[in-house]
Amino acid sequence: MVRYKQTWAGVLWAVIRPIVNIVIFGLLSVLISKPQNYEERFLTVSCGVILWQLISAGITEVSNSLVNNSNILTKVYFPKIILPASSILVSLIDFAISLVIFLIMFFVLKGVPEWKVFLFPVFILYAIVFCLAVGLFFATLNVKYRDIKFLLPFLLQVAFYASPVFLSTDYIMSFNAPIIIKKIYLLNPVVGIMDGFRFCFFGGNAIYDVPMFIGSIALTLILLVFGVNYFLRFEKSFADFI
Amino acid sequence: MGEVAIKVEGISKKYKLLHKNIAKSDSVMESASRWAKGLFREKDKVNSVEEFWALKDISFEINKGDRVGVIGRNGAGKSTLLKVLSRIVLPTTGRIEYTGRMASLLEVGTGFHGDLSGRENIYLNGSILGMSKHEIDRKFDEIVDFSEVEKFLDTPVKRYSSGMYVRLAFAVAAHLEPEILIVDEVLAVGDAAFQKKCLGKMEDVSTKEGRTILFVSHNMPSLTNFCNKAMVLNKGMIHQPLCDIHEAIRSYVDLAESTEYTEISERKDRQGEGKIKFTNFSVYNSLNQKTNICITGEHVTLKMDYECASDKSIDNITFAISINGSDGTFFSLIGNEFSGETFNGLPSKGSVYCKIPKWPITSGRYALNIAVNQNGIMQDWIKEAVFIDVEDGDFYGTGRLVPGTHRCVLMDNEWTREINL
Repeated sequence: MVRYKQTWAGVLWAVIRPIVNIVIFGLLSVLISKPQNYEERFLTVSCGVILWQLISAGITEVSNSLVNNSNILTKVYFPKIILPASSILVSLIDFAISLVIFLIMFFVLKGVPEWKVFLFPVFILYAIVFCLAVGLFFATLNVKYRDIKFLLPFLLQVAFYASPVFLSTDYIMSFNAPIIIKKIYLLNPVVGIMDGFRFCFFGGNAIYDVPMFIGSIALTLILLVFGVNYFLRFEKSFADFI
Repeated sequence: MGEVAIKVEGISKKYKLLHKNIAKSDSVMESASRWAKGLFREKDKVNSVEEFWALKDISFEINKGDRVGVIGRNGAGKSTLLKVLSRIVLPTTGRIEYTGRMASLLEVGTGFHGDLSGRENIYLNGSILGMSKHEIDRKFDEIVDFSEVEKFLDTPVKRYSSGMYVRLAFAVAAHLEPEILIVDEVLAVGDAAFQKKCLGKMEDVSTKEGRTILFVSHNMPSLTNFCNKAMVLNKGMIHQPLCDIHEAIRSYVDLAESTEYTEISERKDRQGEGKIKFTNFSVYNSLNQKTNICITGEHVTLKMDYECASDKSIDNITFAISINGSDGTFFSLIGNEFSGETFNGLPSKGSVYCKIPKWPITSGRYALNIAVNQNGIMQDWIKEAVFIDVEDGDFYGTGRLVPGTHRCVLMDNEWTREINL
């Protein structure tokens, strides 16, 4: 709520931003690829866009959560995990608004989804775990090395192109690229999250490559254990370094 | 009483200080080449790490219901101690045990958000400091009342005056109800009346509800009024273990004076341009003996040795001496520019004398600050160059003394029944 203080449109911004994003990216993709079924294309890209918003905002917010609150961190004692946790909650609220917009568009353009739609929270959970795993690691690193502030936007940009936001995984896999590169691409947890989410709404292939999907989950969990461990180990000395 | 609230055993806190042994860089190319060289050299040659003990082997026990002052000069480790106690930083060694809820107020307005209104900030700040929503609801009116800002409750706090800001912040903190409250110098702000109100509130909380309070301040009167016990820290160590507040303050004043005295020529904390510098400052009594003890009403000579960087004689020189109580109260200012003439043609190295025919100030300990100006520009200024102890003497030549309990400046005066000018 604080974010929208002293703004004319107020909380409306939380609605305007995702709409503009969805419309721009959706229309762009429809215009470029000129598909037969443009509604479907528009919606697939939209859902990629809102998921990407969740993941990139989640990682950014969590990574900066400690540094942005350094004044509190050095003056009051509290369990430090509250800061990244509340950041992820903020991203999640933003996502909920985007999701409602997406659902409305879905109803208008495509109608009532199938039963599979009820599976989507599973993939949101996956996304949150992924954000926390990466974010906690970066947040801790950020306390001592502010390089993260510069590195992170750059990494996210790379990750954007390495994720099926615009193009579907099927399409990307049809490229003529070495198999090893394709396998590495599939290890990206974002691929699993987006494919799974799209499956809930549009059906089709939920998981492109089962071993690689399991691999990406394992990778996320390893990152999570590592990130949480790293965070907890340095938690007590944050105030000395921040 | 008698129940231990906080028990501290041998805490130390070590910091690493990084020294960069690099000369100032003049250009981008230079710093780039230095960086390139640094890549191939051992890191230790470029940077050296020094260990710094902010706290060293601190142990004490505080009983429940005590109001404990922590006294010490800047850099003595007071704030670090409070931070360690409130678990914000982890001690390098040692243990802390305490019972009950602990809240610390190391800075007024921690977690205040400028864009939020006063009302919203009460809730935000309260929850950051550890109050539940229910608790804040219950105390909301009391907090608003105490802070005297009810008219501006819905204004964003960034538009508050600094006084309003502090009042609101302290009001929230004062209504915390922890078993142990840790307060760092937050009262230095706000006007005297509000400070008094805050101390009163804290004292209330402590005496009526038996809460333990740890309080850091440089304000001796508020310490004596508020605390019943105190300890003195010096250079990260306990200088005076927990004792009665008055005893602690005495020990602190002694400490401040003993550590403060260094030879004039070795003093580094000078101010001014430095073209002319003091090399010595001494006090002589009526028998021309060098001394640190003066007697009220007797002849005193102050001798100042100076040195000038150039060999030429110097013109337009004024010297000044201010006399202050050991607590910093200003008593008098004397200088040749007021009572005599500015010096011209002084040798580049020499001495000047200031004679005071009848030392006019009553007994006590005084600090003399000395200054020298050339053409009205300060060249050298030394705070507390010398401490002198004054003993009561017969200023008026009547054999009767002004009671030493009055610390004051005496002046000649005559009494008659009728005025004849």
